[in-house]
Amino acid sequence: MKLTRRILASLLVGGVMGSVMPAFADNAEPIKLGAFVPVTGAGALGEASLVAVELAVKQINESGGMAGRQVQLTVADYQTDPTIGVGEATRLVHQVGIDLAVGPTYSQVTLAVLPLLSAGQIPSINVSGSSTITPAVGPFSFSMLPNAETQARAMVENAIAEFGAKKVAVFSDNGSQAKTAVAEIQKVLEEKGVELTGIQEYNYNSQDLTPQLLALRSGEPDAILLFTSTGDDTANVLLSRAQLNWDVNISGSYGVSLATQALAAGGADLFNNVIALNYAGFTYCKADGKPQRAIDLVEAVREYKPDSASRYPMNFLALFYDSVFILKAAVEGNGGDTSGPAVAQWIEENIQSFDGVNSGLAVGEGSHFLVGLDALAIVKPATIDEYGIQERSGC
Amino acid sequence: MSIDELALILVRGLGQGAIYALIGMSFNIVVNSSGILNFANGTLLILAGVLAFVFLPADPSFVTWALIALAIIAFLFVFVLLQGVLTLFPLKSSVEQHSWLITTMAISVIVSACIHLYGGSLAFRVQPLLPPVSVFGLSTPSAYFLLIGLAAFWFVMIGWFYKNTRTGLAMSAVAQDLDAGKAAGIPVKLIQLYAFGISGLVLATTGFVGAPVINISSETGIGYLLSGFTALVIGGLGSNLGAVVGGALVGVLSMFAAYRFGGIYQDTVTMGLLIAVLMFRPEGIFGLAASRKV
Repeated sequence: MKLTRRILASLLVGGVMGSVMPAFADNAEPIKLGAFVPVTGAGALGEASLVAVELAVKQINESGGMAGRQVQLTVADYQTDPTIGVGEATRLVHQVGIDLAVGPTYSQVTLAVLPLLSAGQIPSINVSGSSTITPAVGPFSFSMLPNAETQARAMVENAIAEFGAKKVAVFSDNGSQAKTAVAEIQKVLEEKGVELTGIQEYNYNSQDLTPQLLALRSGEPDAILLFTSTGDDTANVLLSRAQLNWDVNISGSYGVSLATQALAAGGADLFNNVIALNYAGFTYCKADGKPQRAIDLVEAVREYKPDSASRYPMNFLALFYDSVFILKAAVEGNGGDTSGPAVAQWIEENIQSFDGVNSGLAVGEGSHFLVGLDALAIVKPATIDEYGIQERSGC
Repeated sequence: MSIDELALILVRGLGQGAIYALIGMSFNIVVNSSGILNFANGTLLILAGVLAFVFLPADPSFVTWALIALAIIAFLFVFVLLQGVLTLFPLKSSVEQHSWLITTMAISVIVSACIHLYGGSLAFRVQPLLPPVSVFGLSTPSAYFLLIGLAAFWFVMIGWFYKNTRTGLAMSAVAQDLDAGKAAGIPVKLIQLYAFGISGLVLATTGFVGAPVINISSETGIGYLLSGFTALVIGGLGSNLGAVVGGALVGVLSMFAAYRFGGIYQDTVTMGLLIAVLMFRPEGIFGLAASRKV
């Protein structure tokens, strides 16, 4: 009898504990964040992306976590390869069991991994710019890059407004985002009645681009619309232009604002007659003073990685950094719910209120690109200072 | 095409072609003595460029430049010699066993990873020693001319070495018939190791002198390796004259393709040339048809 009572009591206590403990256990469990970053492979920006995510996670965990839960980071090095990206996404979704994700950067990889993330209802913020990344492809995924169309339109309008261009040539890398941008540029040029004198492409990391520029020079354009994705490629184009003694105007994409490598390779003169797009959070007019949030981020990165901070493009790094904080805001705004539909709905309804290094973010009609023209500014790339902040053109 | 455009394509194409020719010659030195294709050649070239970036001061005098060059050349000689030890040590016969396929690639992967750990994925930029040269009013990096001169230098030097030194004669003998060389008392393994070391010298000088116009980063070695190998196959595997001619053809043609058709067609055009040559001369332009063993 005593034994039966004990068993019953044990079962009762066990039942009560069983119903209570999972709640505590859930609260104690960390939120698992997957970071798709190309730490190795043919890309120049993976290391900066990783540092940004690590720093954001460190700061969040030190200040109490995300909705009271610590954040556990798992890195997926996709090596800029879509096939490896899919393998890594499978690992993160099915083995690690991530709740949230940031990255990838390369559009080809993003398009490859989004079906897996969507199937798992995992919310993510990528840093890809191809317009083929639509809400239909990734209903719970948003992008911190301006999409190719936005950049294309801005580049054409800037060339007309700043240089009075009536004839332009187009020069771009051969990435997916650039191809979309070039197609859009052609549409906008036709719409604006601007003559297109030539189109040229280059492979990533091509050092000598004089043959392509020579071909474009024969069309005698008033300006080149230059779409690059990395600072190294920007440096290669500008060095090649200088070697041809050709001071043609350049209206550049965001990649052209990544000026550090070009300045190191050839100095400020390389940027004569060059304007580019940059995130407004990393720009200023002298009258207004420099943006404090950008300065704070750069100083935090320098403290976190003192030996290598100088080689990171800080405006790019800020995209990954802000991505983690947007996810934090969305999860906390939903009372701790990390599910894809809840996070996506919060971002769609509230992203305007996000006050990070980048501001002015918005969700457009039928688009999950958070960076529109309001979050961008035209800059003189050579004015980049020790924080990576650039002076706006036309202040 | 105007004369200045033609000059630009020719000079830069020959300069790029010189890099491919020098990679081809470093392939030849090793393959002739051991039958081994050193697939680490591209990364070793990049390693020399990285060392130039690390050790060259911002504005070096000629003496400083030369001393650092000597140090890097000596380092690469020893490094590639050691690679030869690692590659040859497990083999009873380098011609009949093929583990070198993996060991040479493994060295390439490890060196690339070390470069990545040191500097990330960003390109290393090395400032030129000499100012650019004006060709028909267009500024041309002096490194292109130095590379053309370097290719000519190594072409002559290697030919002289094979004909006028005991080690070179032994290498020639081993290249012609490895077993007969062994029977004649030639220390084949040692000769093969020397070949690795000499190929290291060629790659070190190329990477150092060409650093201002070479895209130096942890990922770019494979591209140079493929272009150098393509040039060599077009010219004829084993022939240094073939490496020089193949390099020049690939360099000039890829520059012309970028100018006329666009940068993304460079590889298509050079691969088209490769296929065309192999269809009519499978051994390459200056290669010798392999004799059939009976």
